[in-house]
Amino acid sequence: MSKTLRLLRVCLTQDMNLFKIQSKKASGTTKLLVPLVLACVVMVYMGAYTVGLMEQFKPMNLEYIALSMFCAIFSFVTIFEGFYKASSLLFNCKDDQLLFPLPVSKNIILFIRMFKFYAFEFLFNGMFMAPSMIVYGVQTNQSWLYYLVSIVALVLIPVVPIVISCLFGFVTTYISSKFKGKNLVQTILTMSILLVVLYISFNYDGLLNLIKDNALMIDKYISYYLPVGIYISLINNFNLLTFILYIIGHIALFGITVLIIGKVYFELNSRMKSVSVVHNNKPYVVQTRSRLRSFVKKEFNRFVSTPVFIVNAGFGLLVFVAACAAIAFKYDAIVGGLAEKMEGLSPDVIIGYMPVVLMGLLAFSAFMTSITSSMISLEGKSINILKSLPVKSSMIVLYKVITAIVIMIPCLLLGDFIVIFAFKFNIISVLCILYATILLPFIAELIGIMANLKYPKMDATNDTEIVKQSMSSMVAVFAGMALAMVSVGILVGLAVIGLSNNIILLLFLIIFTIVAAILWLILTKISDKRFDEIQV
Amino acid sequence: MIKIKNVTKKYGDKTAVDNVSFTVGDGEIFAFIGHNGAGKTTLIKAIVGIHDFNEGEILINGKSIKDDPIACKMDMAYVPDNPELYENMKAIDFINFICDMYDVDQETRTENIHKYAELFEVENVLNDQILSFSHGMKQKIALIAALAHDPKILIMDEPFVGLDPKAVFDFKKVMNEMAKEGKIVFYSTHILDVAEKLCSKVAIIKKGKLVKTGSMKEVKGDKSLEKVFLELEG
Repeated sequence: MSKTLRLLRVCLTQDMNLFKIQSKKASGTTKLLVPLVLACVVMVYMGAYTVGLMEQFKPMNLEYIALSMFCAIFSFVTIFEGFYKASSLLFNCKDDQLLFPLPVSKNIILFIRMFKFYAFEFLFNGMFMAPSMIVYGVQTNQSWLYYLVSIVALVLIPVVPIVISCLFGFVTTYISSKFKGKNLVQTILTMSILLVVLYISFNYDGLLNLIKDNALMIDKYISYYLPVGIYISLINNFNLLTFILYIIGHIALFGITVLIIGKVYFELNSRMKSVSVVHNNKPYVVQTRSRLRSFVKKEFNRFVSTPVFIVNAGFGLLVFVAACAAIAFKYDAIVGGLAEKMEGLSPDVIIGYMPVVLMGLLAFSAFMTSITSSMISLEGKSINILKSLPVKSSMIVLYKVITAIVIMIPCLLLGDFIVIFAFKFNIISVLCILYATILLPFIAELIGIMANLKYPKMDATNDTEIVKQSMSSMVAVFAGMALAMVSVGILVGLAVIGLSNNIILLLFLIIFTIVAAILWLILTKISDKRFDEIQV
Repeated sequence: MIKIKNVTKKYGDKTAVDNVSFTVGDGEIFAFIGHNGAGKTTLIKAIVGIHDFNEGEILINGKSIKDDPIACKMDMAYVPDNPELYENMKAIDFINFICDMYDVDQETRTENIHKYAELFEVENVLNDQILSFSHGMKQKIALIAALAHDPKILIMDEPFVGLDPKAVFDFKKVMNEMAKEGKIVFYSTHILDVAEKLCSKVAIIKKGKLVKTGSMKEVKGDKSLEKVFLELEG
């Protein structure tokens, strides 16, 4: 047991350094400042949102539904995210050579990897769920027992989503291991499942209204999900036996999952690592390319060979295309539905604003997709190859930004043209949309690369740790969210003033061209120094 | 020529390289030896522009690596101690990538890649993914990529580790040819008998400080290099 704990401690210390920031000069306080500020902003926002939601349920005396909803929503988010993280976190670790020769059971290694996954989700979910639990407790004057049960629930609620994700990751890995193109099969499987889940979620239109109108029904459904249902029943009516069973049940579930996956873990892990060498009898081709083309090819190669990277970036882009197709082909239903909810706006007026709607959608998709926030970290130790090349660091950084834009643009253009042709935009709107299709990803990727230069994570044992659990990806996501909201705010604000479509689009693009210019100036100033400071 | 002048590199409070100075002339094969952790890799990384250093100056053919890193790097090739190559690339794509970065023309690269691929007997695997290669194979690919752009200065960190005996033998010949052409071969090693036979100059580093440097004859006198090294380190 002590061996397991010691190993767990070492692995967590080594790998769970989400907030590890490599900077020569930063002091301990400075290092923690950004994550702390980010965490505080999120927690305050979640607390305020809980207060708002509780107000909705107060007349029915069902305030606790706000609490159960948060727990259920973040369980769902964990499962959703876990779908494409689990496989990589369990079966694509770089520390196999260190751990497997150790005189410990293979199940312990699996347990440690699952626990690392759990630990991250616990911290992440805690940031969102703890404020709602505190707000509920304070607002409804709960006793110490409520806080005790809530702390235990906070610890236990991520367990079931982690178990589901790990089982899913195990199944997709098992299936893809049967094929030669393991990565491709895994990417397609994961992406398909995510799209199905998203399609089902999209059908729950007007979530807040639905919740408000169907509070009792939601309460019933959530109670069927035992980890949340039992927690709610415990805070309403505490029972010691149920409480103990609640704890034991979660621990047992985690243990049983380790035992089930553990049966074939080593074999499957080895199969995933084995490379099917296909000797190509064709003579090798010596080919000269420009530096830019050569670099983009190299980066693109890295992108397509990393399933978690493709799913992370590709999912948002696919959703953009799907949304554009939905607007174009189902606009009667969508526009009609919007017109019903927005008093004073007829379907014709909404269709008239379609270029602005598309711009908003484009901004949202572009800002929420950050590829460059992982690109430097994914170099790992091979970053020394880049540093020894006769290429300026700023150019290397620029090449990475260009690659990311090249990856994003085809999907964005596809979505653009679907809407442009369906609604027959005028030439100015078309030009504005096309310019935005380059400008907005450029801004998102500048932010991403700046975040990665500031917070590189060069010692990850796993690509997922970089793409989904690193400080730079977090910063890029939060910054993207903020920019997406600001974009929508600007577009709505300009539309409310009553300006024409073309003027709104032009003003919007002027603002973001200035933003891009400022970001570009900052990047050119810092990129050489920051890149050179990265040491592995 | 490589000129190292009073170079000091610190990691926090720890001084990894302490006021080191020496010169490597054209046509020399230079061995850089020392215990593990003596500061060899740190100094090599400073020479090739991977790490910055706190004090001193490094001149590559008269140009400062700090002031004009791109011009310096154009003259150099670097082979790291552990070949961390781009594993998802085919070997030939990796070599092409390196050549593209050094602006190597089609004719030169075709000639060099063919020459060294044949020498290291890897022509039939150049179309394979690096991921499937052993350590030694990766080392060979790293060496071909370094040699393909015909560098004036070849800097290597323990280049013989992982290579099979034939590859070591062939590569020693390449090193000698380069020296005859007036190029510099600078490498760190723990294989002292090879260094003794192959190198014209040597430097011994201990705890970041240079304890002895000069021609092989001056440094070892009538003793073996191994004996001198052990006496200095002892």
